[in-house]
Amino acid sequence: MPLPPATGTGRYYAIAAKSIRLIRHGCTNRPFFHISVTHRRRLNSQPVIEQLGSYDPMPNMNNEKLVALNLDRIKHWLGKGAHVSPPVAELLGLSGFFPIHPRSYMTAWRNRRTERENQAKEKAEGSS
Amino acid sequence: MIPKNVLLKRVSPLISQIAEAHRKPRWEPVAKSKIYRIPKRPEISEEERLELLRINNNYKTQMRAIRRFYHEEMMRELSSLKSASSEMSQKLEAEEWEKCVHLNEEWNKEVAAEREQRRKIELAAMEEYTLKRMEEKDKEMREKIEKASAEIRLQKELSATFITPDNLEAAIDAALANPIDYNFAIDLKGNHFYGRDTPIVNQDKKDNAINTNT
Repeated sequence: MPLPPATGTGRYYAIAAKSIRLIRHGCTNRPFFHISVTHRRRLNSQPVIEQLGSYDPMPNMNNEKLVALNLDRIKHWLGKGAHVSPPVAELLGLSGFFPIHPRSYMTAWRNRRTERENQAKEKAEGSS
Repeated sequence: MIPKNVLLKRVSPLISQIAEAHRKPRWEPVAKSKIYRIPKRPEISEEERLELLRINNNYKTQMRAIRRFYHEEMMRELSSLKSASSEMSQKLEAEEWEKCVHLNEEWNKEVAAEREQRRKIELAAMEEYTLKRMEEKDKEMREKIEKASAEIRLQKELSATFITPDNLEAAIDAALANPIDYNFAIDLKGNHFYGRDTPIVNQDKKDNAINTNT
């Protein structure tokens, strides 16, 4: 029996809850994600309904993390009441489709704080 | 007892429990070394907590609005699709269809004319190519026949000397009368001396000459 396509089977239960989430498709030490809509209670290894984009978390030669989004279909599934998982919500927030996710703000200020602390420590070590 | 490996690596669900790869089955208890481990709670300051609460509330409110907006949009689209199936719109659609069919036919005609022209050119090219190939083939055949006839002529000329049952006796007599000995001796300079009884001439002279040279 052939494997179900990673781009989605297109078959779904109308009443069941859907969720838009990241599905890991890379291999060992090389993460790569599909942004897919699937049933909320399904495992990530199971066939998805539809692929809505992709996310490459490893920076390429231009130091970019590439994200592809099919916004038309995302709008469609949001209209149908699909849930959005936090990582996808963050990506959509950074892309300007959603408001910026609170977690993005949180990681940003925490990163800033650790950097400030590191700088202060360096300064103290330099002066002593 | 089914081995754990079989359960983890199986493709189709044998039992209702489905295990993710690299994970232990759900019925495995907590590891003995981890029973009394209590994970540390994250420490969040009061200030940060309030800020997170505020931005989370804002986010949730905005998201609710966005969700409602897309839902309403979808409903609007659905209703517009429904209204599209009314009589008036059906008539409009039929007209549009007619127009499209006419346009398509025109385009088809254009393309057919182009195709016919192209086909003619292709056919001419093909004919030319075939004729050329046939000519080449003919030439090759002619050459072959010429070569064969030359060979036949040569063999006919040679056939005068062939040994036939008629002159077999004479040939045998001639062979017996003139025996040929193919044995030969060879000297250092590569001279051949045919026959077993051929006297070797100037043997000493030659040796002397070699000695004086060296």
